[in-house]
Amino acid sequence: MSLETNFAVPGEPALAIDARGIWKAFERTQALSGASFALRAGEIHALVGANGAGKSTFSRIVSGHLSADRGEIFMFGRPTRFGSAREAIQGGVTMVMQETSLAPDLSVLENIYLPELGAAGRLSWRNLTSRAESLLDQFGQRAHLPLRRPVRELSAGQLQMVEILKALALDAKVIIFDEPTASFSPNEVDRLFDIMRLLAQGGKALVFVSHRLEEIFEITDRITVFREGRTVASAAPAAEMRPAELVRLMVGREIADIYARGVDGRGEKSTGKPVIEVEHLACAPRVKDVSFTVNSGEILGLAGLIGAGRSECVEALFGLRRIERGTVRLSGSPFTARAPIEAVRAGIGFIPEDRRRQGLVQDFTVRENLLLAHLGQRRSLGLGYDERSASVARLLEELGLPQRILDEGILTLSGGMQQKVVLARWILMSPKLLILDEPTRGVDIATRSTIYAMIRRLARQGMAVLLVSSDFEEVIGLSDRIVVMSDGSDVTSIPSALVDVEKLAMFAAPRSSAEATRSILEMLVQRFGGIAYWISMDGDRLYCFDSVAVQNAPEIGFARGSFPEIVDVSIPKALRQRPDHFLLEPAGATLLVPLRGHRGHDLGYVGLTLANDNALPDAAAVRASILDGPTTPATSVAARRH
Amino acid sequence: MASEIKTGPQLRPSVLRRLLRGAQLELRMLLLLLLLAVALSLISPYFFTLSNILNLMDQSVITGIVAIGQTFVILIAGIDLSVGSLTGATGIILGLSLAELPLPIAILAAIVAGGLAGFVNGFIITKGRVAAFIVTLGMMSVGRSMAYVLSGANSISQLPDSLGDLASSTILGVPTNFAVLVVLYGVAWYYLTFTKGGRTIYAIGSNAEAARTAGLRVDFYSVLVYVISGALSAVAAVFLAARILSIDPIAATGLELDTIAAVVIGGASLFGGRGTIIGTFIGVVIMVLIRNGLNLLNVNPYWQGTAIGSIIVAAVLLERFLSAREGMHRGQGEEG
Repeated sequence: MSLETNFAVPGEPALAIDARGIWKAFERTQALSGASFALRAGEIHALVGANGAGKSTFSRIVSGHLSADRGEIFMFGRPTRFGSAREAIQGGVTMVMQETSLAPDLSVLENIYLPELGAAGRLSWRNLTSRAESLLDQFGQRAHLPLRRPVRELSAGQLQMVEILKALALDAKVIIFDEPTASFSPNEVDRLFDIMRLLAQGGKALVFVSHRLEEIFEITDRITVFREGRTVASAAPAAEMRPAELVRLMVGREIADIYARGVDGRGEKSTGKPVIEVEHLACAPRVKDVSFTVNSGEILGLAGLIGAGRSECVEALFGLRRIERGTVRLSGSPFTARAPIEAVRAGIGFIPEDRRRQGLVQDFTVRENLLLAHLGQRRSLGLGYDERSASVARLLEELGLPQRILDEGILTLSGGMQQKVVLARWILMSPKLLILDEPTRGVDIATRSTIYAMIRRLARQGMAVLLVSSDFEEVIGLSDRIVVMSDGSDVTSIPSALVDVEKLAMFAAPRSSAEATRSILEMLVQRFGGIAYWISMDGDRLYCFDSVAVQNAPEIGFARGSFPEIVDVSIPKALRQRPDHFLLEPAGATLLVPLRGHRGHDLGYVGLTLANDNALPDAAAVRASILDGPTTPATSVAARRH
Repeated sequence: MASEIKTGPQLRPSVLRRLLRGAQLELRMLLLLLLLAVALSLISPYFFTLSNILNLMDQSVITGIVAIGQTFVILIAGIDLSVGSLTGATGIILGLSLAELPLPIAILAAIVAGGLAGFVNGFIITKGRVAAFIVTLGMMSVGRSMAYVLSGANSISQLPDSLGDLASSTILGVPTNFAVLVVLYGVAWYYLTFTKGGRTIYAIGSNAEAARTAGLRVDFYSVLVYVISGALSAVAAVFLAARILSIDPIAATGLELDTIAAVVIGGASLFGGRGTIIGTFIGVVIMVLIRNGLNLLNVNPYWQGTAIGSIIVAAVLLERFLSAREGMHRGQGEEG
């Protein structure tokens, strides 16, 4: 049999979904090139890949939204080909999408049973209500989802819940979750995961499409990785996969080369004066307190998870959002843009996150798209296209675009070429500061390397570059320095040479575990005093992801967001030896407890340092209260121990 | 990739091809117009007489002028339902002003009034984010009501002869009003094709958010198109009053539908970003020809509405069909 049944045990029932050699091309892009996927009943299976890897296309094929060009899909051993999403739902496959397909003015109950509203005969509302209530009870959600409320009034998490219930009401056997947590609050994530576990125990087959490593390792049993339309890892057990390995599988080895730097090397480059200085920037609802500076000739990466407020932050700088608090200085003088045109005239360029929505004028030719920013900042009446023709020609050549495309419609180009045009639009304006928001989303490897080389060259020529990316590999590879944002605030500013993807991920504070460790730290200082911290150590260096201290706690030489060398902090002995008891040093008594994830992944250490004059608590008791886990509130832990 | 780069030589023919491809829709409509003209001249010997040609020109003027403004508005994906009643109201303002002011000042007063009404439309639509349909529907009602209020529901007649010259005089054998129409179309064409403002209007209609992000002044031009539309309604009122030296508060009722029809027949998309001023001109002439033809054929005038209505829907259907076919070539693009 084929490759994906390697993990199957003889005598096991047929796979819920067995997709083999799936091909799918859109007009100019080959989205899937022979991808395969094997899903068992009763498991939660992660489908992972970078942007443009084909995971969404694949999910839409399995759920009947698209049809494959080639390939076979077996469902419980029977060949299957759904002609539409409706057929797929009837066949037991449902996709829960980010953008929900609910009727906003109907109630929760009506939405859950919408398919039945079309059936003949009288509806029994009482019957439907009791069925819905028993469904809700089954998952402990009755308190969270009022059945009579119009769907319009629900939160993103509740909407997703309605979609899930709708699938369950139709007796779905396979449920595909497409990036379900993107707009969730941490509590909602936990609740969704509880439900997913219950569903899997009940024998449903679940696919979890995501690129959030932390969530993948927390919830899924096996992992399939797509890269550029192919399956590069098939149904690998999640417990045996390391995050770094998963990232490598997602991005591929080719990527290492495309970040290759010129002779100036990393960290050695001297950067010039500050171009933009941002202090305590706030703009509702996402950006709460952000400060950073970008110097001329520097590439600053703004890293963080979706929802951390990175895009909102740079949009505010560019005049697309109103700034509520904080100051911005551009080349030393105060600056606020009320509209993009003011930012453009002040010398800022902006490559937006969503190329289709914010970047391209679809009805225009390549030439007019390229000259759009030129047109906007122009003060005279005419077009002035001819004045720019020499620089346009030179730019096209540098970007590897043929001159003849200038008069073609912009939509005839591939995604990568379109992105080059948007980049060229701003380079043409020679801005002092270039803001790039996810500049390589949906762009192929070859184009990425051209874009990277171009960005790096612009920085060498003295341009300040602010790069926003959720691809940590890209942020590390391209930036000189990285500011990590989490939940609307900046957490740390660190030279990119000193971090790797895993540490960046921990700084970015993946929501659920960050909340969990924070509550452990709070519990520790509440019970024992001193300072509690979450750190990771790599060679001679220490990375502090979070810390909580009482007043007049011992001075240990690091705090949240700092990354000193171990020799420079006040408790070096404890950090090197990590004994299982409190170790006394002049600065204080320290105990370190290694932290493990659900499946035994290394999450660094939780440490507690107490002043030397305190009576030391029992190390075993401290360790126990840490490992007792984050779910127990500190007070109840204390109560139980008495 | 670098090997793909070619410069120079084969550029010229591609420009020509692009022009032809860009004007495909106009060429189709022009063909339709010519077919219509040939058919009418075969059916009615009277069609190709000088007096009928002059008549056709005269009938194009009012709809033609207002359709320019309507084109600007539709290009940014808006709509202006108030043009008919604004023509009526500004006509009354013109008539009342003429009693006390010299002709040029009175004309200016009417145009300023039309522009102001357009500004109110545009400002509420753009800054208040209310649908253009609703706001201009409101203005349509206000405008007609103002026409009645200001005139006391009576028509104003015996306007000065100097106004009548606009309708009766000729320049180089061409009626002055038609010459003005042609000049206005020339200016509008130049503006939309070769100036910053014109291209901004197209960009707004195609993708307002991208236009804003690139630093274009989206709000300013979104208001401006309604000002232009309102002001041109007043210009149309001047020529309407000049024709019979009298203006009635119910004048130009239904003009908004004729202009929208002309713009749509001319190939503009109601979703914005697509359409040309030349297309609109052809659309206006087609409308006038059809009306004229129905008259020449002695068709009951009550049937005209049915004919015009069917043609509008057919034109939109055609556009839908053609752009769907085009969409198969340009659609889909990337995947998420």
